[in-house]
Amino acid sequence: MSGIEAVRKIVETEAQAKRIVEEAKSRAQEILASASEEARKIRQASTAEAEQRRVEMLRETREKAEADARSSDVETDSLLESYKKLFENRKDAAAKKAVELILGN
Amino acid sequence: MKMAESLEKLHNRILSDAKLKAAGVVEQAEDKSKQVLDEAQAQARRDANDILAKASLEAESIRRSILSSRIRGNRLRILDEKNKIVQSVLKSVEQGLSDIVDSDQFESTLKRFVAEAVEAVGTDNAVVRIGFRNADKKSLQSLGQSLPKGTKLLVDETAIDDLGGVVASDPEGKMIFNNSFRARLERLDNQLLTTISSTIFGE
Repeated sequence: MSGIEAVRKIVETEAQAKRIVEEAKSRAQEILASASEEARKIRQASTAEAEQRRVEMLRETREKAEADARSSDVETDSLLESYKKLFENRKDAAAKKAVELILGN
Repeated sequence: MKMAESLEKLHNRILSDAKLKAAGVVEQAEDKSKQVLDEAQAQARRDANDILAKASLEAESIRRSILSSRIRGNRLRILDEKNKIVQSVLKSVEQGLSDIVDSDQFESTLKRFVAEAVEAVGTDNAVVRIGFRNADKKSLQSLGQSLPKGTKLLVDETAIDDLGGVVASDPEGKMIFNNSFRARLERLDNQLLTTISSTIFGE
């Protein structure tokens, strides 16, 4: 093998080695880009899921509060109805006691 | 032959170094990639926790807003109804006091009211004014006979303070004791409301 041929072979080998490293760098870029994209998707999915849970939580809270409020309305209606009955049954007794109090009997 | 072998070794060495370096670059990228994903997952958990913590506060605020306004409204309805009932009983009480003139306890009540008023003024020559709706003036004037000596009795044509009653004063009008039904209603206001509420509502 002549000296020129040996030099040519080394140059070719160096070029091949350079290609191997460049390809690895390129692959590394792809890996990092892919990881970055995957990270973005992970955060996006997590945020979307949390937002969905937030919407559901607020809906359930609103429905529960409305139900409790309706229950309070019903209780109040019932209480007012009982007051009317108590008034009808006891108004004379109450007025009599009050008159006696004013008269000082 | 020796040179060819040396060249082959050099060739292999160059490629081996390159492959080693390439593997290092890829491995470093993979480590970095794993780190990025771990950080992303941790950050995603923090973001989700923040969203849910805020949602929890928001939910509590919504719950309070819905419930407090309704419960406040219902409390007002209850208070309003109770007040209407008490006011209605008070109207009956006023009517009952107005009508006492026709009852058999009128005379004894009147004497007691006068005695209380005269005692409150604390003078020997008190002026006593009495006035009731639909009362027989003669029977009212006959009360004068039972008053302490020196007491002057005045009978009004109209009911004192609308409902009737007795007002005593000293001759100069400096010391006045109002013992009308209206004045007694006002003096006994708290006891009156308690009596009516406890009788109607059992409270």
